[in-house]
Amino acid sequence: MSEVVVLGAGPDELVAARVLQQAGRRVIVVQEHAVPERVVGWAPAQIGRLEATRPDPWLRTADGVELFADVKRSAKSLGPRDAERWPQFCDRMARLAALLQEIYLQPPPSLIDMRFALKVRRLGRAGMEDLMRLLPMPAAELLDEWFESHTLKGALCALAVRDIQQGPRSAGTAFRLLHSHLGSPRGVFRPATVNVAPLRSGLTIRESPVARIDVSAGAVTGVTLASGETLSATLVVAGADPARVLGELVEPGWLDPDLLRATRHVRSRGVAARVRLELDRAPEWPTLTLAGTADDVERAYDAVKYGRVSDRLIIDAVADGPAVDVHVQYLPHTAVDTADIQARVVKQLQSHLPAIRSSTVESPVDLERIYGWPEGQPHHAELSLDQALWMRPLPELSGYRTPLRGLWLCGPAMHPGAGVIGAAGHNCARAMLGSP
Amino acid sequence: MKRHDAIIVGGGHNGLTCAAYLARAGKKVLVLERRERIGGAAFSDEVFPGFRFSVFSYVVSLLRPEIIRELELARHGLQILPLESTLTPLANGDRLVQWSDHDQNRAELARHSPRDAEAYDEFGVLLHRMARAVKPLLRMAPPDPASLHPAELLDMLRVGRYFRELPQKDLHALWKLLTMSAADYLDEWFESEALKGTKSASGIIGTLLGPRSPGTAYVLLHHYIGELAGVFRAWGFAKGGNGSVSAAIAAAAQAHGVEIRTNASVSRIQVKSGRAASVVLENGDELVAGTIVSGADPRRTFLGLVREENLPEDFAAAIKRYKFRGASAKVNLALGELPRFTCLPEPGPHMRGAISISPSVDYLERAYDQAKYGEFSKRPYMDIVMPSMLDPSMAPPGKHVMSIFVQYAPYHLNGGWTDEKREAFGDTVVNTLAEYAPNLKSAILHRQVVTPADIERIVGLSEGNIFQGELSLQQMFFLRPAPAWARYRTPIHGLFQCGSGTHPGGGVMGASGRNAAMEILGVRA
Repeated sequence: MSEVVVLGAGPDELVAARVLQQAGRRVIVVQEHAVPERVVGWAPAQIGRLEATRPDPWLRTADGVELFADVKRSAKSLGPRDAERWPQFCDRMARLAALLQEIYLQPPPSLIDMRFALKVRRLGRAGMEDLMRLLPMPAAELLDEWFESHTLKGALCALAVRDIQQGPRSAGTAFRLLHSHLGSPRGVFRPATVNVAPLRSGLTIRESPVARIDVSAGAVTGVTLASGETLSATLVVAGADPARVLGELVEPGWLDPDLLRATRHVRSRGVAARVRLELDRAPEWPTLTLAGTADDVERAYDAVKYGRVSDRLIIDAVADGPAVDVHVQYLPHTAVDTADIQARVVKQLQSHLPAIRSSTVESPVDLERIYGWPEGQPHHAELSLDQALWMRPLPELSGYRTPLRGLWLCGPAMHPGAGVIGAAGHNCARAMLGSP
Repeated sequence: MKRHDAIIVGGGHNGLTCAAYLARAGKKVLVLERRERIGGAAFSDEVFPGFRFSVFSYVVSLLRPEIIRELELARHGLQILPLESTLTPLANGDRLVQWSDHDQNRAELARHSPRDAEAYDEFGVLLHRMARAVKPLLRMAPPDPASLHPAELLDMLRVGRYFRELPQKDLHALWKLLTMSAADYLDEWFESEALKGTKSASGIIGTLLGPRSPGTAYVLLHHYIGELAGVFRAWGFAKGGNGSVSAAIAAAAQAHGVEIRTNASVSRIQVKSGRAASVVLENGDELVAGTIVSGADPRRTFLGLVREENLPEDFAAAIKRYKFRGASAKVNLALGELPRFTCLPEPGPHMRGAISISPSVDYLERAYDQAKYGEFSKRPYMDIVMPSMLDPSMAPPGKHVMSIFVQYAPYHLNGGWTDEKREAFGDTVVNTLAEYAPNLKSAILHRQVVTPADIERIVGLSEGNIFQGELSLQQMFFLRPAPAWARYRTPIHGLFQCGSGTHPGGGVMGASGRNAAMEILGVRA
């Protein structure tokens, strides 16, 4: 009998499994869905050394804005005023990111937490004021305060709204821009691509769909696989989204209907498709962002509010030799016409690329089917201010614990989730082991 | 030169409230109003012979009950007539009416969605509780969380303790209200499009934001903070128009000895070695007082009346980036007969309530989309009241006045506002409304269209923002109007602010004026 069953084999589940195994627990991982080997995000050092690559320049637009890890070099493609302000902007954002990085590696602070308040105070007056103003701001407004170049602002807006159904004029997207800076050197606002495959080593992983989480007398007793086989366990750690874990895998009747209703209200709308292109040869650029101005990004968002695919998609491509990964936004999570998505991506990118040999498209619907991401949302719960920190994914669940004894949640929907690779799993496992 | 203890610049309802409280504490107070009549945007006028209008602001709900009580406004002539219902006409000829009568309301909601009828009470209880949690904050001067001053620390601790004593559940509900969009928030509760549309409309008032913009859920709460005669959620109409609110506060102020001077346009506030020394009028008169309080908005106060060189650099920068972006307009109609709404053609109690053109969230969001890019909404949101139904003195017998609050009419219109565009906008409003009430056009005797540019020109509100600055999260509480200067004080000694551009801002509430007076008098809330 194994003591712990970990449901899911994403980076968060694997990190949780490793921490528990290292603490002497017997752990078995049950993998239900495919897992991407390379994940875009920040892998904090605590979860182990993983190979991370990031393009340099990390941002490049069609009309010549090029931003590098070298802040001075970035200034060359900017106008004089923007060039002067870019290093100042980078400094301000780096200081705020340092605070977030610190609080992301622990369970979320409570809303009224004196220690958290003291940490914030340590930023000093300027830093505090920055933080209080910045968190609720729209990215477009923050960038308008700093810069003139419409392309620069548009491309940064595209990064700020990545994977959320919000536009750059929506409050809270400046926080998103800051979030995408975490773990990167000063001056880089694009998360790295991380190879998470090594996280699997040393773990027992079974591939099987799961039928249910077994509960008896308010405590978990194990997991029943689709084959009917039962794995008994006193602890079950699930990486799927809370609505699925609590609403579908746990038998009805054990949980408060209000909590279940709240899990169904967690917003997890996928807004992007992923396209992988195989080219004749490597393109001349390591990355290319076709976003236009902040208004263009906002207009692209307008369409998805009414359930339509944007006429002008936001395209963000990162090359890996002759292979190119393209993030395509905004599409409603119901979009299934992959041929149409492909045609439009090719049309918008064509003039910037060598000949395309082949391409694969994953629509939000595909992403849900293949990877188990609810509505195709890779973060399981969109990272907006009402679903971040002490609210992530719901205040009742923010401590990784569920009302059922022995059942824990560790997936991307948990704090900090959303592109902080493995941190939710790490925090969850530490909470299970009773250490802060 | 006659010396006063305090001079208030601007005779709007907040300036008058501040003056009244200062005078009540024994100060010698002078109010200077640029226009020939007091009231600012809370102003009634006989715009067309026989027809009186609340030209700008048009309903009363947020006016703080303690102000009504302490300044004895009822004795000074304030009479509030409650609005009993909200009618939302729908394109298919149906309607949704929200009644103040509980059972009637429930039956009507159930007609649209039995589930919504069930959820409605629970929703009301939650928002009522949230409103209660927020109310003490409306009465206080926001502490500065970055300050190390012992008094500020103490206040910060008090706020912290207050929140810690709230149940966790309420705290989280409050956070959701602060950060979510009205549409997302309402989606968690209701399914009827008309109900969600009408409720979310209260979240967008006065801002250039749509119902799907995060941060708009908070303003839903304002409807539950409104409190008339102790009844929550009651909206009312001041007898004689909203100018009567200002008139009552002015009467109370005068009873306490306040001197009010109209046609007294202030050209600048003189600063001498970091201190506000005097007020200089446009006619050259210079008036000296120990305390000068500005009821004008932050931009007019600091970048107009006070010169920028008298301000610390970061403060001036904060005031410059303070957002206004007015997006609201008014259309005032004099009508020869009552409009007949296709959905409820006969005159009835619904005509004494509000009428809301907000059939769905998408309708409002589309209206916003156009404004975002600098166009006025082709099919705008409207909040309509017919004051003559409640107060027949507003119009000649048998005739009526209709007040239409409209969004969105962005101040920053592409190409700017012109007379042609104003009239085109007026036509859009009338045409849209006529789809629901076909006899409207023939009933119109006169029409007055007030755009944000007009509001700025006439009342002096920058960019026509009715709240003296957008009520968005980064401009609220201790950030309103600028960090470190939210306590009604300013970097200039002896100069204070008391307008809606300070906490809690917005609406004919009077809280800013009262809080400023308490701060000046050194009274802790």
